[in-house]
Amino acid sequence: MAASVALASFVPAIATPRPVTFSDAVRDHQDEVYGVALRITGDRESALDVMSSTFLKAYRAFDRYDPSRPVRFWLLRIATNEAISHARRRGRELRRRADEHAAGVLPDPALTPDALSIAREDQARIRAAVTALPELYRVVVVLRYFNELGVDEIAQVTGRPASTVGVQLLRGRALLRRALEGTG
Amino acid sequence: MSRMRPDDELFDEVLLRRALRLEASELPPRLGVAAIAARAEERPLGLATFASSLFAGLATAALLAIGVVAIWALAPVVAGDTFATAISLVASVAVPLEPAVRTMEQPTIPIAALAAVAFAVAYEYHTRKERANV
Repeated sequence: MAASVALASFVPAIATPRPVTFSDAVRDHQDEVYGVALRITGDRESALDVMSSTFLKAYRAFDRYDPSRPVRFWLLRIATNEAISHARRRGRELRRRADEHAAGVLPDPALTPDALSIAREDQARIRAAVTALPELYRVVVVLRYFNELGVDEIAQVTGRPASTVGVQLLRGRALLRRALEGTG
Repeated sequence: MSRMRPDDELFDEVLLRRALRLEASELPPRLGVAAIAARAEERPLGLATFASSLFAGLATAALLAIGVVAIWALAPVVAGDTFATAISLVASVAVPLEPAVRTMEQPTIPIAALAAVAFAVAYEYHTRKERANV
């Protein structure tokens, strides 16, 4: 009897999962949103701006969010769009101020020694090479290797067909390899 | 990159993942939901955007109106000047050409006169030759 009472009080909680609140979304995904912004834009200040504007937009649009879909993908979609816009604006400013080469290879100022035995130099070069990738490939490479998304999930986030994402991943990796071999 | 071998895709991917991973020192400061909400409720930016858009729209409309009025006022003058210039150009070419054109239009009179003169010259020359032979 006690068991059935306990079960009865437990089952509804499983059957109707608690809807995701905006606080949950911020708490659970802010690091990931910041990370994707950092890897796409390539610098901390921009990433903080992008994270802030992402959650601001998400807050304003939260009543239009479809709860049947993962909030993570919804936030990543906003974040990648914001990061791309931010990177374009910054690119235009940098082109005005400095030469394009210097803008493409900005190292991450917050770099620290890697606990997983990648040499610091290699890590900086990989990050710089990812940041210097054309936007089309940079987004899918970051979503794949930073956010660990599958091809279908990347397609869902970016709104591109899965086959296109697959091709862009291959091409992005090839460009990365070429860039890294060129600097290595 | 020394450790990246073109023939080893898996190794590439492992390296990429490790290099892109967010480290503890890179973590952002915690965002406060209340701060986001407060910022979202702020409307001065929206008002400023609206005001600047309105101002830009009014300025554009004023510029367009000035442009239309200017074109409207200047068009007859500019067109009149252009027409007068074109007429004087045509006249300066046409006046010297007029006799030649007239000759080309009615070639019989000058050709007949020339033929008469030529005939008279030839006749006189022939007559003198006959007198000399007598």
